[in-house]
Amino acid sequence: MFAWFHKLTAPKNFYRFAGIINPWIGTICLILILSGLYLGLFKAPPDYQQGESYRIIFVHVPAAWMSMFVYMVMACSAFMTLVWRYKLAGIITEASAAIGASFTFLALATGSLWGKPMWGTWWVWDARLTSELILLFLYLGYIALNSAIENKKTATRASALLVLVGVINIPIIHYSVEWWYTLHQPATVTKMDKPSIHLDMLIPLLLMALGFTFFYAFTLLLKVRTLLIMREQKSKWVQELLEHGKS
Amino acid sequence: MKIFWYRVKRDLLLAARSRNEWLNPVLFFIIVTSLFPLGIGPEVNTLQTIAPGVIWVSALLATLLSLDSVFRSDFLDGSLEQMLLSPYPASLLVLAKILAHWLTTGVPLILLSPLLAVFMHIPLTTIPLLMLTLLLGTPILSLIGTIGAALTVGLRRGGVLISLLVLPLYIPVLIFASSAVATHAMGLSVEAHLSLLGGLLFFALALAPLAAASALRIAME
Amino acid sequence: MTPQRKRRLALISLMLVSIGIAVALILNAFQKNLLFFFSPTQVVAGEAPLNHPFRIGGMVKEGSLTRSSDGLSVDFVVTDYSHDVNVTYTGILPDLFREGQGIVAMGTLGEASRNVFTATEVLAKHDENYMPPEVAEALEKSGAMPHGLKTVEEK
Repeated sequence: MFAWFHKLTAPKNFYRFAGIINPWIGTICLILILSGLYLGLFKAPPDYQQGESYRIIFVHVPAAWMSMFVYMVMACSAFMTLVWRYKLAGIITEASAAIGASFTFLALATGSLWGKPMWGTWWVWDARLTSELILLFLYLGYIALNSAIENKKTATRASALLVLVGVINIPIIHYSVEWWYTLHQPATVTKMDKPSIHLDMLIPLLLMALGFTFFYAFTLLLKVRTLLIMREQKSKWVQELLEHGKS
Repeated sequence: MKIFWYRVKRDLLLAARSRNEWLNPVLFFIIVTSLFPLGIGPEVNTLQTIAPGVIWVSALLATLLSLDSVFRSDFLDGSLEQMLLSPYPASLLVLAKILAHWLTTGVPLILLSPLLAVFMHIPLTTIPLLMLTLLLGTPILSLIGTIGAALTVGLRRGGVLISLLVLPLYIPVLIFASSAVATHAMGLSVEAHLSLLGGLLFFALALAPLAAASALRIAME
Repeated sequence: MTPQRKRRLALISLMLVSIGIAVALILNAFQKNLLFFFSPTQVVAGEAPLNHPFRIGGMVKEGSLTRSSDGLSVDFVVTDYSHDVNVTYTGILPDLFREGQGIVAMGTLGEASRNVFTATEVLAKHDENYMPPEVAEALEKSGAMPHGLKTVEEK
């Protein structure tokens, strides 16, 4: 099992493997998001208090989940980079950063669009919104540090350390709602025993969340393949690849 | 333990000999804070409302200004490398550097804060609390800031980058400290705020030297 | 044990001790309430500051909403079902503002008008329940409406 894993994560094999599975991941992502959007925008009933405008939840909530999920992935791969010096882990951390920053920005933007009709303001400085904004800053800080250090090896390890320092922020985001008594409503679906959301609304929400996850995987693999080629451009397999022009 | 105090003494001596290093952030602190009334207007109520935030943001920026030089001279003359090669735990030596940094930048800020509090019309009864939040908060700024300084050691344009890395991590300190001052001025209990600040301080004390030491190792590899 | 090992052990135990202190202090902080807003009961009891902006939170009392003739300023009563506070506000109310709904208002309590809260901003608090209107109606009829919608959330 471990030997197999080791073989798979060798740059050359992973490049080929990612190339094979990525079209499938892309297709699944497209199906999930299209069906989620259809069910969410046309089939789900309007909310009893918020009417039609609650429908932004189908983008907002998955984006917010992903913004944290991507950071967790980065934290795990950063840990592997620092402890076992996995080359692939470093590349995954680097490739995830821009995607995670985009999800965070999307969550903030849609949240602000939702806040205007519902709360009466574009922006509230409450715990959850603020932590999400700090998360965006953390992503941007990572990207800045990673691109500022010229030696790629040092850059990967130094920015991995930064991710681990920042990961302390993630629990603050997630539990902030319970810690502070604020304007933002408590989490809905994570109360697993009795979700207080109607089933017709929950299904498209989960479809969208899954679709966003596949979208992350899809873009991640694309970026990882590019970074692998750039990082390994002196190695034999990349030279061969370039000569034959196919993977 | 002896080596720890020796390192602190050495850094303090170095700081005392180059006055700019510790004096400039302090002057910066005073000037930035006194710019706010000029920009906003001398109205007492407004100033009172924004005072805790303004003083704390200025303290944050002043600390940030001084971070760039924490490791720079040691990096240039090679003593940083010596420090990492020595048989003593690197995190302990880094902690000595942090303590010296706090003594040269944090403590002057605390001592000057009553003056600025008077500028900003903070009630006299609240000034001791302002100093207390600075006493709890500025060591956290030095601790976290040192991680940023260690990550960017040896980079040519490290100064701006440090602020990008470190400022987001400063936000909780800023929130708890300034809201403690504001809440106290309203006449409410601030026990929870102070307790949180203390918690953050001990948390940073435990982990920041370790993180800064490994950041230095990565940078010097 | 070599001196180096001893030193390392001492450092690690110091670290653990300070993490322990940190956890204790943070737990202690969460037992106290970090207030985002004052409840009407606290305002009536005089815990809220005078002449100093703060937030007040509660339910808009049923039947208390009156609009003035110019159509812009409104008066209503914020209640936590044990005490009431009169609020006056000039400006546009958010969509979710209605009687029986939770709101948070930012403003000041003047010394002259001890009982009138002059709001500068009114924000609607929406709950964590999402359901179609029919379901909400049925729930209300059967009296099984989740708490916090028609009644104040228990603390």
